[in-house]
Amino acid sequence: MNDVMYVLATLIFFALMIAYGYGCRALGRDSVSGRADS
Amino acid sequence: MTWNGWAQILAFSVVVLLITKPIGVYLTRVYDGSLHYLGAVERVIYRCCGIDASENQHWLDYLVSMMLFSAVSMLVTYVALRAQGHLPLNPQQLPGVVDRQAFETAASFTTNTNWQSYAGESTMSYLSQMMQLAFHNFVSAAAGMCVAAALVRGIANRSAGRLGNFWTDLIRGVIYVFLPGAIVLALLFVQQGVIQNLKPYLTMGTLEGARQVLAMGPVASQEAIKQLGTNGGGFFSANAAHPFENPTPWTNFLQMVAIFAVPAGATYWFGRAVKHQKHGWALWAAMFIMFIGGAAVTYKFEADGNPIHAAEGVDVHAASGSMAQSGGNMEGKEVRFGIAASALYATVTTDASCGAVNAMHDSFTPIGGLVPIVNMQLGELIFGGVGAGLYGMLSMVILTVFIAGLMVGRTPEYLGKKIQSREVRMVMLYVLAAPIFVLGMTGIAAVLPAGLAGRSNMGPHGLAEILYAFTSTFANNGSAFAGLTGATYFYNTMFGIAMLAGRFILIVPVLALAGFLSERKIAAASAGSFPVDTPLFVMLLIGVILIVGALTFFPVLSLGPIVEHFLMHAGRLF
Repeated sequence: MNDVMYVLATLIFFALMIAYGYGCRALGRDSVSGRADS
Repeated sequence: MTWNGWAQILAFSVVVLLITKPIGVYLTRVYDGSLHYLGAVERVIYRCCGIDASENQHWLDYLVSMMLFSAVSMLVTYVALRAQGHLPLNPQQLPGVVDRQAFETAASFTTNTNWQSYAGESTMSYLSQMMQLAFHNFVSAAAGMCVAAALVRGIANRSAGRLGNFWTDLIRGVIYVFLPGAIVLALLFVQQGVIQNLKPYLTMGTLEGARQVLAMGPVASQEAIKQLGTNGGGFFSANAAHPFENPTPWTNFLQMVAIFAVPAGATYWFGRAVKHQKHGWALWAAMFIMFIGGAAVTYKFEADGNPIHAAEGVDVHAASGSMAQSGGNMEGKEVRFGIAASALYATVTTDASCGAVNAMHDSFTPIGGLVPIVNMQLGELIFGGVGAGLYGMLSMVILTVFIAGLMVGRTPEYLGKKIQSREVRMVMLYVLAAPIFVLGMTGIAAVLPAGLAGRSNMGPHGLAEILYAFTSTFANNGSAFAGLTGATYFYNTMFGIAMLAGRFILIVPVLALAGFLSERKIAAASAGSFPVDTPLFVMLLIGVILIVGALTFFPVLSLGPIVEHFLMHAGRLF
């Protein structure tokens, strides 16, 4: 039972990190300065 | 303190200075792709793994690749440790690692931390040591370098968010940097007497007539990558205090140099990549000033020793010429290494995210133990971990440039790139993670019975033990105030979470920062640009790092080692 919990927790953690990356991208776009310089 | 001790510190500093440029030049060629003497090996690996080496990944793809690789390799290690009892190369017939320690250990080695709540010689089979833990020692180090390489490219180039290829960076880091370096180091260690074999443990007779089991194993090969990759996990429980891991003063010196080698060279690599070599040296200087300050403080307080011993008539002064006492605080230190080499090792291992120890940090004086904690709390950017030290320092550089811009009322600019709100937001996400996790988790452990039960000392030293553990695990250092009993469900799970957070929650905003910077155009430096190669910049950078660290952690430090120091002088020990 604990094995399942630890494996699931690991998978959820890394999924959250990928989501965090997309969140950072959104945070960058949301910014007034989020446009690349022309 | 003695001249001999200072000479050791000086010799170490000179060697680190001398190796910075050659290693930096080599790293430049590894990560700009111009080094090809193992090209055939590279191509075979790419073909076997289905890697398109020409793909230039967007920073989000780079991030996803890294997370997938880390998740899979961590889970494989978890399963392998659990199944250890059924796998070969296990002459001691050690059983599978218990679930909580398998999780913690898998997280620990995946994150380049190497925090260990087990004794290696009585828990890990040779297969687990060589196929799982050593594998992570190589790839976690190379993964740290990948993130640094991505950030360097993001600063140096304008590439619309494209930062290179995670898979080629990972493989090139392993085969060009860590494998050759580890082979050379392992041979030097074997020559000095570090053991390297696959024999069953030996049972020997002692002088008193008792029987003693001597653990064997492939130690030299593990020791080499443990130091070069700033991993730090000991083959034996005693780590680098064990005579089979660290038998001579020469191996002790070599190990410290190996810890700083790649992080020091990375500053030169960065200077070359951004075509501003003086800036690379400015980063080196900032790191060195903080390193030498920490080493001096640790050495002074360990050499001064415990005033309560002095009050009892013990000669605590090493320089007094007494033949009866070595002087200073020798509790928890190897007589073979003495105070200076122990203080220096403790400083080096916590400046970098190594975590190998040749002395028990729990037995240091309160201020001697404070320095390793502070080194880790500053973000391990004083040379730092392989890759992690450089990207941690560059995050603080961007914060420094931002603050300098605020002071003079100009849009901050770093190496020709504008620093605006989205870059500063990523730096803030980076900076704020440490207080949230370190202080939060320390607070939880300091109030829950499961957390308090782990202390072996009461009062401020007990708090320092808990604080050290969460600082070390979050900072991916792995050294310990060994007084804390961490082999419980509570601590194994909490430390596992802290290590994963300390690695990946920091890497995400760093890669985002790299991607954002790569979208900026590079403007020529003007009279209004803040120079980043002057003593003023170095001092401002150090000031920002120390102020951020002091503001964040001073309150908890004052309740731990600082109050313990004053109580020690008032005659009270814990």
